[in-house]
Amino acid sequence: MNQLKPLKARIKDIKLEAEDVKTYILSIEGSFAAIPGQFNMVGYPGVGEAPISFSSIVRNKCFEHTIKAVGRVTGFLNGLKKWDKLLIRGPYGRGWPVNHVKGRDILLIAGGVGLAPIRPVVQMILAKRELFGDVSLIYGAKNEKNALFMNEFDEWGKGISLHLTVDEVIQHPPVSRLGKGGNKGGWKHNVGLVTDLLDKIRIKPENTFAFICGPEIMMRFICRGLLMMGIAQSQLYVSLERRMKCGIAHCGHCQHFGLFVCKDGPVFSYDEVRGLPDGLL
Amino acid sequence: MCGLCGELAKAPFRRSKKLVPKETFFLWLDSLRKKYKLIGPVKVGSQTVFKKLNSSKELFMEYESTMFSPGKLFIYKPKEDLLRFSINDEIAIDEIPPISEKQVIIGVHPCDTNAILYLDKIFLGAYKDPYYDVRRKNTIIISLNCTKVSLNCFCSSVGAGPFLKAEAGYDMLLTDFEDKYLIEIKSRRAEELFNIKGKRVGASELRLKSEKEKSLLSSFKKTINVEGLDELFMKNIEHPVWQYTAEERCLSCSNCVMVCPTCFCYDIVDETSMDLKTVRRFRHLDACQDIRFAEVYGGNFRQRRAARLRQFVSHKLNQTSQYGVLGTVGCGRCITWCPTGIDLTEIAKEIQKS
Repeated sequence: MNQLKPLKARIKDIKLEAEDVKTYILSIEGSFAAIPGQFNMVGYPGVGEAPISFSSIVRNKCFEHTIKAVGRVTGFLNGLKKWDKLLIRGPYGRGWPVNHVKGRDILLIAGGVGLAPIRPVVQMILAKRELFGDVSLIYGAKNEKNALFMNEFDEWGKGISLHLTVDEVIQHPPVSRLGKGGNKGGWKHNVGLVTDLLDKIRIKPENTFAFICGPEIMMRFICRGLLMMGIAQSQLYVSLERRMKCGIAHCGHCQHFGLFVCKDGPVFSYDEVRGLPDGLL
Repeated sequence: MCGLCGELAKAPFRRSKKLVPKETFFLWLDSLRKKYKLIGPVKVGSQTVFKKLNSSKELFMEYESTMFSPGKLFIYKPKEDLLRFSINDEIAIDEIPPISEKQVIIGVHPCDTNAILYLDKIFLGAYKDPYYDVRRKNTIIISLNCTKVSLNCFCSSVGAGPFLKAEAGYDMLLTDFEDKYLIEIKSRRAEELFNIKGKRVGASELRLKSEKEKSLLSSFKKTINVEGLDELFMKNIEHPVWQYTAEERCLSCSNCVMVCPTCFCYDIVDETSMDLKTVRRFRHLDACQDIRFAEVYGGNFRQRRAARLRQFVSHKLNQTSQYGVLGTVGCGRCITWCPTGIDLTEIAKEIQKS
């Protein structure tokens, strides 16, 4: 089988999530299965392909990708319309170890569009809530316009505890950090860095696993913070982003000091990637 | 073990050793031309190049090194057409299947044979590359133990030469015995194909072979001690050698990567026709020395030239957890073809000094 040959997927619907960020609901012919944290190579002829995580679980041959228009491929995808087709290959990579953390407390920590690969984990947990212990989601975005999936937070809040923050509120003049008084312009949650929220949560370190996805520099400080709180580094999982061309450990672009992020990751336990050259962890 | 070696190893055959006059061997080789494309080392100007042969008389079997390794010219192609798309109301996707004729590559040195075994690990692993797979299966590899040691060879330090130790994954092994070749059969298909009787090899010939190897081993100028290098590299990630070598000498020209027989990275490129109706998708060799290689939205994991140099060198000498073997076969091409003479064995020695 030629792994480099893509499949056609139809865009069943498009949801505008935030500035330059859209969720594409895709359907595909034939059977398709993926686990949270895995990715597809998503693309279009003449434009190329980019690795994009699943932002939903796969249901009835349908799945979602939530994509921010930042480059050539993602910028092109941003212009596609409902019922258009695009090309996918996958699923590739190692996802979140959801089965491994059954019965444990889970911390989900995301920054910016890093919430997209965490969303299918939330969906899986909510579908079988009784299988997991305490679950908290800590999410930080640049501002309230950049926060993803906000219309789903009420639903999520019924099953897991949510801690949301924005670096700054843009609707009104700058406000004091972490909402100590001041005007938050209708934003009901926190203001400040996502790392600041770690002080607000109480955990049982030996029983807690964390799934973290966001800018690598954010993950660095989150991991350091969680280590300080007593969680073992083997219980911290991060999802890495690298340039990829093939997704199958051939093209070499995503190599991270001997690891192929596409095949060995993108989800790694922190002890696998901590301190590697050319990374920020 | 890779899928191919497994397949080749399954069929039992006699690992026979024969002494055959060179003349007879080349006559046999020419007889293969009816069914196979013959490829071998040919002298072109001051260089030796692996290319298609019309006759075994063109062969230059005493060559020292070539710029490009045969594995990266004739099995893993520098450029490969993958797909063709036509965009009308619907997107049509056509696979471009590998065109592979049966071929024999003769005169492959131990370093380059080991490099092909390394490429097998990449392209015939968990995911098989169909292009590499077909060509690999259709290629008969006749390896040749070295008779000379070049200035930049360090294969003896990394277990990749000057005599080939691998027992599988190729077809025949030649050792130069003046007017004869000592020929060792290493695959079932070679046993079937090589129907020349020859003189049976006894203890005295094998002793002579190991004496030849010993005398070559003593003539290596370049060496490297890879013992404990992995840990030493990791302890010295920010060793100044990277910074000053990159700043003072490295041009990021990617010559090292292009001539390396084990460098496998590729880029995938879409080429759209003028009428925008068809797209050709192909891949070609890419290099970690290119500044865009590890670029992502919002940053570049190897923005610094020192980081890119370190990636190449450490991928050869270090990072052995990736495939369980060293990435280098000691062919010395990256040293030979570096415009400023950057030498990875010297870099390793600098780190070992500290």
